[in-house]
Amino acid sequence: MTRDTATPHSAVASRRPPRAWLLWLGTAARLLLGAVFVTAGAIKVGDLAESGRAVNAYQLVPFSIAKFLGYVLPFIEMAVGLLLIIGLATRLAAIVAALMLIAYIVAISSAWARGLAIDCGCFSRGGSLAAGVRPSYGWDIARDVGLLAVAGFLAFIPRTKFSVDDYLLGPMDERSFDDD
Amino acid sequence: MTKPGSDGSGKPGRNTSKGNTSKGNASKQRAASAKAVAGQRLARERRRRRTALVSWIAAGVIVVAGLIGYAVYASQNHVDFNVPKHAVQNDSGVVAGGSGPIKVDVYIDYQCPVCKAFEQSAGNALTNMVNKNQITLIYHPIAILDRFSTTQYSTRSAGSSGCASDFDHFLPYTQALFADQPPEGSNGLSDDELIQIGGSVGIADPKFAQCVRDGTYKTWATHNTDVASQRGITGTPTVLVNGTSIAASGQAPTLAALLTATGLTGK
Repeated sequence: MTRDTATPHSAVASRRPPRAWLLWLGTAARLLLGAVFVTAGAIKVGDLAESGRAVNAYQLVPFSIAKFLGYVLPFIEMAVGLLLIIGLATRLAAIVAALMLIAYIVAISSAWARGLAIDCGCFSRGGSLAAGVRPSYGWDIARDVGLLAVAGFLAFIPRTKFSVDDYLLGPMDERSFDDD
Repeated sequence: MTKPGSDGSGKPGRNTSKGNTSKGNASKQRAASAKAVAGQRLARERRRRRTALVSWIAAGVIVVAGLIGYAVYASQNHVDFNVPKHAVQNDSGVVAGGSGPIKVDVYIDYQCPVCKAFEQSAGNALTNMVNKNQITLIYHPIAILDRFSTTQYSTRSAGSSGCASDFDHFLPYTQALFADQPPEGSNGLSDDELIQIGGSVGIADPKFAQCVRDGTYKTWATHNTDVASQRGITGTPTVLVNGTSIAASGQAPTLAALLTATGLTGK
């Protein structure tokens, strides 16, 4: 019996079950990114007026728009974080998270380049307040770049364990890893 | 070609056209695989549709979150606010005293410890300058430290200072508030305590008490804060002499700097 190599059998075989370590990595990425976003949003919701002033300190948009963004962004951050934590629409949430992180990186870089001192509040925060450029700009950017990499990874490979996506779309063995 | 009935199907006389040839098996395999692939394609389509639906729902959740933020913004964004007596400069400050040629603007938050320190070191000099009519002293009570109080003390105290201005006692009331400044992270002074302090500096009119309890000028305090932010003033205390800050960015103003900038002795 000759083997017929022209059967569509090969097309079915090319869809392998996902590699276990990639799944775990993705799950960790999803939970980490979600936790960061929920926390960031929750902190700001406590004083939304201050959040508006913080956005205004970047001097990138007029005050009224800065204030509006300061009120709206924390809620969007929490929504994105929540979606990531429960693993619903992971690809979309990761893309939105990535876009926000890109905006933050651009804003911080712009403030750094212009020598702005993003420090608001009472000068009682000791003499540790530098007169001029805040020394942690570089770390802030590095942190956001790292988070952006995590979000990018999730956007490409959004399949993770313990997610609502997983529950909705059935067991992973039958389908492609990044198919959705 | 084999004889009919001998293809192993067990059914005598059954005549399949392909029979038990390798070609026959291969095409059976093809048919089975094609069916499997079609089934897989169908399942993939179903999954894609489900994913799309889920994505739309998630997008909706994000939009709703944004709308919630907008609703809070709209509710806290007061276009109308009450304006106290002696208000100047787009109603963002009050004249604490004096009508002299040198204009001194002081931005403070009543919860700010460095503001208290400045007030206690430069308060006498400012009072003397006012009494000699050397300066026009304008205070801008702003509320940037509300999150360090459980009762929004920054806004309440700034609002109450507007009430004090109504009764022409802004400057002594301000100095008394700093003298009794509560620590950060506390409840701050209560409305009763604020009224008591007003009484201690000479405000006896019960309408002052009513003004404080009603929070009549709390929205004015928010307006002051917004205007200060628009002017790029993000820290307290900030002191301007004729529009120019007396301290470098990020540095606290001092009495010495004030005297240098005004060219006065403060005595």
